[in-house]
Amino acid sequence: MSLSPEDEMNAAEFALGTLDEGDRSAIAARRQREDELDSAIVAWERRLAPLVESIPELSPPQDYLAAILARIDGRVRAIDDRAGNVADLTRRLSRWRVGAIAASGLAAALALGIGLRETNRSQAPHEFVAVLQKSADAPAFMVTVNLDTRDLIVRPVAAPAQAGKSYELWIINDKLGAPRSLGVIDQARTIANPKLAAYDRAVVTDATYAVTVEPEGGSPTGAPSGAPVFVGKLIPTGQ
Amino acid sequence: MSIVVQTPDLVDLLTRVATRDRAAFATLYKLTQAKLFGVIARILVRRDIAGEVLQEVYVRIWEKASDYERGKGSPIAWMATIARNRALDEVRRAKPVALEDMPDSFEPAAEEVDPLGSRERSEQLVALMKCLGQLDSEKRQIVLLAYYRGASREALAQRFSRPVPTIKTWLHRSLAQLKDCLSS
Repeated sequence: MSLSPEDEMNAAEFALGTLDEGDRSAIAARRQREDELDSAIVAWERRLAPLVESIPELSPPQDYLAAILARIDGRVRAIDDRAGNVADLTRRLSRWRVGAIAASGLAAALALGIGLRETNRSQAPHEFVAVLQKSADAPAFMVTVNLDTRDLIVRPVAAPAQAGKSYELWIINDKLGAPRSLGVIDQARTIANPKLAAYDRAVVTDATYAVTVEPEGGSPTGAPSGAPVFVGKLIPTGQ
Repeated sequence: MSIVVQTPDLVDLLTRVATRDRAAFATLYKLTQAKLFGVIARILVRRDIAGEVLQEVYVRIWEKASDYERGKGSPIAWMATIARNRALDEVRRAKPVALEDMPDSFEPAAEEVDPLGSRERSEQLVALMKCLGQLDSEKRQIVLLAYYRGASREALAQRFSRPVPTIKTWLHRSLAQLKDCLSS
């Protein structure tokens, strides 16, 4: 074990739960990359876990089993849809690209989003996708959001890895004031614990999503360090 | 007689859930929902949010069941850790709500959870209790409030009328002491 005493305490406090939001998400991002830190957290979780025995049971206000199974089914469909078909992804991307070129960047994605939302209103779409791009012909990340589970998956399309830097994803919406971090996109280009659950549907669907380049591990201040390198808005995928 | 030994059943159920056995998942849910809701609702005071988180936690349990390692803690401890982490993520995000909603739950009198009073105790809990018992009462209470209620350093500082750095120092000393005690 060569974990620093400071990180040993970070691990302990992460497991105990006393870190504030910024420190907590920073450690959550780091444990994805740092095995030693992750092991230390798991060890602390195990040390403290016996306390769970002493927590009295409490019946949930309703039986959620059916709702949970429905979420699981929805998730399976979404994963099949995403993983199964690269051709489909390419086709969808080129469709957005045509739209984006037609009316330029964000405005196009927004217009397309509104159009699709109108036609799908009766079905209340659950799955949304945003293509985050710098220019109309260069998409860099694809963000998939499931509104029911608030699950967020980030897929790189053409984002170059940057040595010693991290990409960080932000949600931007006037209702939220300043941009809020959704997490650092790690080496696998996914976000471990996307923080979407805190926001309501309207905020999530209407927000702009932006990626900034930050020091490794994410913005030290909790605010974007510079201008976004990729931006986009969500559009429903039609499920 | 209504003594139910749940541990082997839960291990078996989790193993079956890992193979996408929905019936096993339904049984697992029925057996464990009240425990996990107890864990979550003590951290997230608002029941609607706690219910939402409970659903997310079970989706995660379905997806991660194959990660559970037999022999490295009980299934319920593994599931409760997922539930606690998810509830903590949520409560830290919703920070303006947390303190306002919490004052009564920070009264020691209202703190109904008492590890020393729990009837059934595993060897692990007995060992942990022994080590917690070596901390000063105030410091022990801080660790327990953090664990049970998801109290942050800031919330603890307010509750115990101490500066945040003092709470941080106490936490670090207490946790280091616990670690030494548990490994001895």
